[in-house]
Amino acid sequence: MLVGLLMLAAGAAAGAFGSLLGLGGGVLIVPLLTLGFGLPLREAVGVSLICVIMTSSAAAGVYLERHVANLRLGMTLELFTAFGALVGGSIAFLLSDQLLSFLFAALLLYVAATMARGRGAELDIESDPDPHAVMVPEPAARQTALDRLSGDAYRIHSLGLGVIGATGAGIGSALLGIGGGVIKVPLMHLAMGVPLRVATATSNMMIGITAAVSALIYIIHGGIDPYVAGPTAIGVFLGATAGSRLGDRVDLRYLRLLFVVVLVVTALQMLLRVVA
Amino acid sequence: MTGARPSTAPGTSSGGRSATDERLIGRLLIAVTYVAVGLLSVGVVLMIVDGISPLGGGPRLDIATVGAHLLAREPAAFLWLGLMAVIAAPIGRVIVAAVAFARDADWLMVGIALGILAVIAIGVGSTVTVTV
Repeated sequence: MLVGLLMLAAGAAAGAFGSLLGLGGGVLIVPLLTLGFGLPLREAVGVSLICVIMTSSAAAGVYLERHVANLRLGMTLELFTAFGALVGGSIAFLLSDQLLSFLFAALLLYVAATMARGRGAELDIESDPDPHAVMVPEPAARQTALDRLSGDAYRIHSLGLGVIGATGAGIGSALLGIGGGVIKVPLMHLAMGVPLRVATATSNMMIGITAAVSALIYIIHGGIDPYVAGPTAIGVFLGATAGSRLGDRVDLRYLRLLFVVVLVVTALQMLLRVVA
Repeated sequence: MTGARPSTAPGTSSGGRSATDERLIGRLLIAVTYVAVGLLSVGVVLMIVDGISPLGGGPRLDIATVGAHLLAREPAAFLWLGLMAVIAAPIGRVIVAAVAFARDADWLMVGIALGILAVIAIGVGSTVTVTV
């Protein structure tokens, strides 16, 4: 009983931190469950996938209601993240725990470095208009597929790069239990010319399908325990909701710094697991 | 649907309908998420009342018996139903979007939506085949 409440509290902390810092919960949930509760990494990844779908669906619903997310572009890339998730979910059960731990540690160090540089990880949905944005022709003149995937105030490009990146994000999501926003948002924003706020919202929307594909594979393999996933997911949902309301009252500079330290320490602990 | 209809201005005819569709899809996602949270909450409360430790290992999903276990108020049944609702939310969003695109005769996007659903079906089908 106490362990269930602790998992709920841990999930709430992960959800709140993730929401405050603009990160998906997966980066936090997997280390919490493996290092904090001694769960096998693959089981923690399965639970994390459920948590990221939950937070993604709630946020994506709001983004779609406000017309911030680009549904057409998101669904087009989703086809490839879903394919990547199918591949990743299938090979996840063939890889050793050590290799997955190593990959996760590398991911944590990458996120820590990104946050330390002060960009990328905190993705402000209300940011200024994007300098990469290019005005598109009037709707009647939109003839090509790229035009039709573009928004009212920007034109996307490099769809091929987006397809490759989306497939990679899907594989990463399935292997490591993350939403893949760390790959998709920079890809859409920097490589494809999607404004940051649209890229963030669209990436968030895409997480649901990407993680759903791999979560189904994990469930069929028996890789998700309902007694772990239930309290953790509820905790993450409550924490993320609270975090989104606390955002304006918290000094994110110190929180980000603290978080970088936590990520580095966690990455080292994951690497120790590899060695052990 | 995201303001990218080629032949209609936003706020008119199918442009306005697209905005309505997006709102509908957004509300669907939020509603299903809250249903999932409700089911998971019931499962967690029952789990705590029954003194079940999460570290003891839970039962695997057995769709055939979920209904009977729900009637017996077993925590795992509520948790599994909640988890399936979590997963169903984004899949339902793709299905609703496919219907909306079909109504607008946007066959490219219909094809993409069906492609996504096909990938999910292949994932489930191939995993079931491998594990059975």
